[in-house]
Amino acid sequence: MVNHYVISSTFGIITGDFYMGELKTLMENIIEVKHLSYRYGKEQRPALNDVSFDVHRGEWLAIVGHNGSGKSTLAKSLDGLLPFTEGTVTVDGLELSPETVWQVREKIGMIFQNPDNQFVGATVEDDVAFGLENRQVTREDMIPRVKAAIEEVGMHDFAQREPSSLSGGQKQRVALAGIVAITPSILILDEATSMLDPLGRHEMLELVSKLRRDQKLTVISITHDIDEAANADRILVIDDGQLVQEASPAEIFALGEKLVDLGLDLPFTAKLKAALKKRGIEPPTNYQTMAEMEEWLWQSLSNT
Amino acid sequence: MAISFEHVTFTYQAGTPMAQTALEDVSFNLPDHGYLAIIGHTGSGKSTLVQQINALLKPTSGTIKIDDFTITPDTTNADLKPLRQHVGMVFQFPESQLFEETIRKDIAFGPQNFGMSPEDANELADQMLTTVGLDTSYAERSPFELSGGQMRRVAIAGVLAMRPKVLILDEPTAGLDPQGRQEMMDLFEQLHREQGLTIVLVTHQMEDVAEYAEQVAIMREGRLVKFGDVQEAFGDPDWLLANQLDVPRAAQFAQQLAKRGFQWQPLPLTADQLAEQIAEQWRKRGTDHV
Repeated sequence: MVNHYVISSTFGIITGDFYMGELKTLMENIIEVKHLSYRYGKEQRPALNDVSFDVHRGEWLAIVGHNGSGKSTLAKSLDGLLPFTEGTVTVDGLELSPETVWQVREKIGMIFQNPDNQFVGATVEDDVAFGLENRQVTREDMIPRVKAAIEEVGMHDFAQREPSSLSGGQKQRVALAGIVAITPSILILDEATSMLDPLGRHEMLELVSKLRRDQKLTVISITHDIDEAANADRILVIDDGQLVQEASPAEIFALGEKLVDLGLDLPFTAKLKAALKKRGIEPPTNYQTMAEMEEWLWQSLSNT
Repeated sequence: MAISFEHVTFTYQAGTPMAQTALEDVSFNLPDHGYLAIIGHTGSGKSTLVQQINALLKPTSGTIKIDDFTITPDTTNADLKPLRQHVGMVFQFPESQLFEETIRKDIAFGPQNFGMSPEDANELADQMLTTVGLDTSYAERSPFELSGGQMRRVAIAGVLAMRPKVLILDEPTAGLDPQGRQEMMDLFEQLHREQGLTIVLVTHQMEDVAEYAEQVAIMREGRLVKFGDVQEAFGDPDWLLANQLDVPRAAQFAQQLAKRGFQWQPLPLTADQLAEQIAEQWRKRGTDHV
């Protein structure tokens, strides 16, 4: 039963034909963070304070917290972008150090908030090829890989376009293609959907789900977006540089109005419950999806 | 300030082979002290539309009236200076426009540019700092030491220091966390209510439109396809969906319940409106169950 739980929480759907070997891979930790601390310059308070957690291979982990909580510092530490002074980060068996940082970065692809800050190529194709050029991939090898990556994110009609002529959502797709091309095992999204319109955000999350499946990626998303957090298998809550909670989305969403302090928005059902309470109606306290809440209201109001 | 558009068309690079029409025959009337939300997809003409209001872009044809000011294709920039003082524009990511050494200097820059003495401008700067919810102890600090949300407040204080009567906000909450978003929207609501500012808000957040706006303009491919009060604009969720626009969550939820026989009058658009109507039905159906 325990194993069953692991599979279903990782993929949402249980297919029933998993081998024990695959199961073991699922349980394996792709990232282990131990007692990580970081301080910016001469700041008194550490931006990260003794943070420890594991990331399982193949899972989607969301990291939430309000602005300034240390989430982005944490993400940058995993990729060796910030040289932390205390603690260890192990990525896919490699302990992060000045000697291993380039090898570790091979394994991690990162997408940041502002798509405009991450373009280098004059065309979409050039931009996607940049990472491969850096890795001295031969031209014969590069052409099909760039093409495949652009296809994978659904941007083939835009391959020759200038990145600046694209919408925010399209730009983030191109950034994803750049990552697909270098085939990392981990994808970190640092508030990557926060500047997109609702449609762009929705499409980006669908694409990340697809890439995770197709490329067997481990996804770490740093987010304020409730829908993005709902996609995750597990949520870590960071506050004031410390890891304060680790739970499933349903457990986190059950916190109701406290979610705002964690830097998340309230799910609609929590807002409605708060509004009903103000009017003297006591709804159930556990987290309910829209469908569950609809059922409860219908039951309560129809059986007189 | 009341704003009216009469058959406004705007073409980028008009008269060249690159000409691209971004607004086509747009007409509407926004009453004084209104709160207008402009919604529509990326590229539908929202930003082009608001840039007409302070004449950053002038119409290719048609007329815009803002109180006593009239903007036509022939209006010169010299004629526009007084208008621009009355129309404050907060662009997307306004914090990227901060440039001074101290927060006070940054906020005082605009008023001084329009001829105010440095002493008066500094005093005004401190006042505006308080208005946007920052303590005057921030005045001597560098704007670049602040968090993103605080920087944005300083940028907005700089716009408010011009004492505008119309405040144009182009996605003012993009990139902020939910709490920061809420505080920002409350600030605009307060300016609207207490100081009577006319607000024009470009947004993708339908929940904010339902919560705060009084009038809604819906843009599609450069045309104004709907203009009316919030209830008129959102009262027909099927139309919104057909136009690939988000329906506020409360309206979505109410529609699901409607399928089970619930009746709404009118369709609730916010959690509060929905709870109000549910509470009414709750009372009617008796109290023998909780």
